[in-house]
Amino acid sequence: MEGDERVRSPGARRAVAVARGAVLAAAALLVAWLFLLYEPPRAKRYPDREKVVFWHMWTAKWEKVVGEIVDRFNASQTRWEVVALVVPGGSLKTLIATAGGDPPDVMAQWDPVIPAWAERGALTPLDEILDPKDWAYLEKNMYPAVRAIGTYKGHFYGLSTGMNIWALYYRPSRFREAGLDPDRFPETLEELDAAAAKLFRYDAAGRITRIGFMPRWLSQWSAVFGGSFYDATRGELTLLDPGALRALEWMTDYTKRYGFERVQQFESGLTTSMGASWPFISGAYAITVDGQWRIQDLAEAKESDYRTAPIPPPEGGKPLACWSNGNFMVVPSGAKHKQGALAFMKFWSGVDDPERAAEFYTWGGWLPITPDVANARRYQQYIRENPEFATFVRVLASPNVQVSPPVPIQAYLMNRLGSAEDAALRGTLTPRQAMERLDEEIRREQRLQNAAATQADR
Amino acid sequence: MARRNNAAGWLLVSPVVIGLLVFSLYPFVASLALSFCDFDIFNAPRWIGLWNYRTLFTEDPLFWKSLGNVLYYTALAVPLGIGFGVALALLLDARIRGLSVYRTIFFLPTIVPAVATSVLWIWLLNPQIGLVNMLLRLFGVEGPMWLGSPEWSKPSLVLMGVWGVGGSMIIYLAGLKDIPVSLYEAALVDGANAWQRLRHVTLPMLTPVIFFNLVMGMIGAFQYFTQAFIMTGGGPQDSTLFYALQLFYQAFQYLKFGYASAMAWVLFVIVVVVTALLFRSQKRWVHYGR
Repeated sequence: MEGDERVRSPGARRAVAVARGAVLAAAALLVAWLFLLYEPPRAKRYPDREKVVFWHMWTAKWEKVVGEIVDRFNASQTRWEVVALVVPGGSLKTLIATAGGDPPDVMAQWDPVIPAWAERGALTPLDEILDPKDWAYLEKNMYPAVRAIGTYKGHFYGLSTGMNIWALYYRPSRFREAGLDPDRFPETLEELDAAAAKLFRYDAAGRITRIGFMPRWLSQWSAVFGGSFYDATRGELTLLDPGALRALEWMTDYTKRYGFERVQQFESGLTTSMGASWPFISGAYAITVDGQWRIQDLAEAKESDYRTAPIPPPEGGKPLACWSNGNFMVVPSGAKHKQGALAFMKFWSGVDDPERAAEFYTWGGWLPITPDVANARRYQQYIRENPEFATFVRVLASPNVQVSPPVPIQAYLMNRLGSAEDAALRGTLTPRQAMERLDEEIRREQRLQNAAATQADR
Repeated sequence: MARRNNAAGWLLVSPVVIGLLVFSLYPFVASLALSFCDFDIFNAPRWIGLWNYRTLFTEDPLFWKSLGNVLYYTALAVPLGIGFGVALALLLDARIRGLSVYRTIFFLPTIVPAVATSVLWIWLLNPQIGLVNMLLRLFGVEGPMWLGSPEWSKPSLVLMGVWGVGGSMIIYLAGLKDIPVSLYEAALVDGANAWQRLRHVTLPMLTPVIFFNLVMGMIGAFQYFTQAFIMTGGGPQDSTLFYALQLFYQAFQYLKFGYASAMAWVLFVIVVVVTALLFRSQKRWVHYGR
C-alpha cells in the first residue's frame, strides 16, 4: 500500500489524466455559461421613469403572458416603469422582504395572506389610496367574490387579477354509455348522486376502474349546502353551521358507499393532475369538480368529449354556489411607489379600459373582476370560441360564491379544516365530532392569540 | 512579525468568524430572546415572559402530538439505521470482487438530495402503482396505503431513512479498518470462531464509531423536516407532523415567530439532555481500546 502516491501504474496515471481533463472541461463549460449563456435580470428600459417593483409567482408560459402585460403597461406610460421579478414561493419571501423593510411595490399573490397580513398592518388599504372615482367604480361593479377576497375588516386590500371558480366537468360519452342523457345534466344534488352511482366502474376483483363522482373539499360543498363558516355581519366564525355539517355528512356517505380505502387506492394510481395529464382527461372520472383553467388543459389535450355545469344544489341548498379563491395584487405598507402600483393594477384588471384588459384575460383564460370586462367584445368572443367557459362566468356573478373566512388565523383554520374533513371521510370521527373538534381547536387558537396580545399589552 | 501574521490569520478566517457570529450566534441569542415575546415578524416583538412556554406545555395538543411523532421516529429510525449501517459495513468489508462497485451503490442514496429522494419514494410507496406494493403483490400480499395511512406513514419514512444508511456505512467501514489486525490474530490463536470474533472484537472496537453515529443520528432525527414537508405536509391525521415541521408552520404560516422560537428552545434542551444521557451511558458500553 505504501508508496502508492509515488509509484503509479500507467493505468492509474491515465485515469488521473482523464479525471484532470474532465475537471478542466467542466470548469471551461461553467466559465462559458457565465459569459455566454447567462442572461442578467432585465434592466430598466426607461431610465428616466420611476421604477415600480412587481413580484409575482408565475413561471414558464405564464411568465411570458405576465411579461407581455407588463410590456404593454410600460409602453402605455410616461411616468412609471414596472419591472417584474418572478419570486417562486412568493409569500414567504415577501414576508421576509417586508419585515426587512424592503418590500416590492406590488405583489401578485395566491396564498391567502390578506387577513393575516392586513391585521398586522403589513398591507396598504387600497380603498384609501385609490382615486375616489376608481374606488366608487370598483365598489359598484366588482363581482361579489372579488370584493370578498380582497376585503378585511371593512377595508379593501387586494385587487384580484383572476378568480378561480369551480364547477362540474362531465363526459357525455360516459353518460350515454350508462344510459343517461348528457343533455339533461342533473339539476339537483340527489339526481347527481343517482347518476354518479351508474357511472362507477369496477374490475373483476371489485377494484374501482373509474370514479363516477367523488366529492372533496368541504368549503366547496358547505357553500352548495347553503352553509357558511363565517358570519360577516357579526364578524365571527360559524364552524358548527348546520349547512356545513350536512355537507360533510353527505360527503361521508360517499366514502362509506364507495369505500375510503378503495377510492384512495384507485386515486393514488392516477398521474399528477397538472396540465394535460389531468386524470379527467385520461378517463379516470366521469364527473369531477374543477376550476376554469381546465378548459385550456382540455383544449391542449385536444379533448372535446366534455361539458361543464354549475354544481347542482341539494334540497334546501343554494344554486350557482362554490368556494372560490384567486390571484390578487397587494401593495405592502412599506412600498415606495404606491401610485405606480395602483396604475399597474388598474391597467391589468381593466378599471380604466375594460376592452383592453379583456384581451389579457383571454390570453390566460382568466376570470375577470367586473362584468364590464366579461361583456367586452374580446371576452365575449373568447366565450364563443370556448362555450363551456360560460358556465364559470355565470357562477362568478353569483352571490352564493364564498371565499375562505377572512380571519387572521385563516392559514391555521384551513389546515385544521382539511384535517377535520379527512378524519370524517376516513371514519375516524363522525362528521359532527370532526366539526366539534375543529370548532374547539379554532376557539382555542383564537383565545390563545388574544391572550398573547393581552399579555403583551400589560 | 508575529503580530502581522496574527492579523493576516484573522483576515483569512474572517469569513468564517463573521459568518458564525452573524448567521449562527446572533440568531441563536435572538431566538432565545424572541421565545419570551409575541412576535409576528411585521411588528416589533413584545415581551410576554414565559407565556409561550406555558402555552406549549399546557394548551397545545399539536405540540405534544408533534413531539410524540418525532420521538417515535427517532426511537425507530436511529437504532435501525445503526443496525443496517453496521451490517452493511461488515458485508462490504469482505474481500470480494467488485467491492468498490457495491460500496458506491450503497453510498449513492446519500448523495441524492433529500427533495429528489422524497419524490422518488412518493412513487416507490404509491399504493397502486408503486414498486414496493407491486413486489408485495408478487408474494400475494396487498401492501398498506403507506404515506396515505396514519398507521403506516411514519414507518414509511423510517423505511426511506434506512435506504440512506450509506453515509454512516462509510464511517463504520473506516472504523472497521481501524481495528488492529493483531486483535483478530490473537482471537484466532485463542480459537475464536467468526461469531465470537464479531461479538468480542469487532463490535466492541466499533463502539466509538457507533456512539458517534448514535449521537449524530439522534440529533438529526429530532430535526426531521424535509421529507415530511415534501411528502406528507404533516398528514394524514397529523401522523407525520414532526416537531420541526410544526415549528415551521407556527413561524412561517401562522406568523407566530416567538412561539416557534420557544419550540426551538424546548427542542434544544431535549436534544442536549438526551445527548448528555448518551454521553453518561458510554462508560458502560463504549470501548476506546484501552
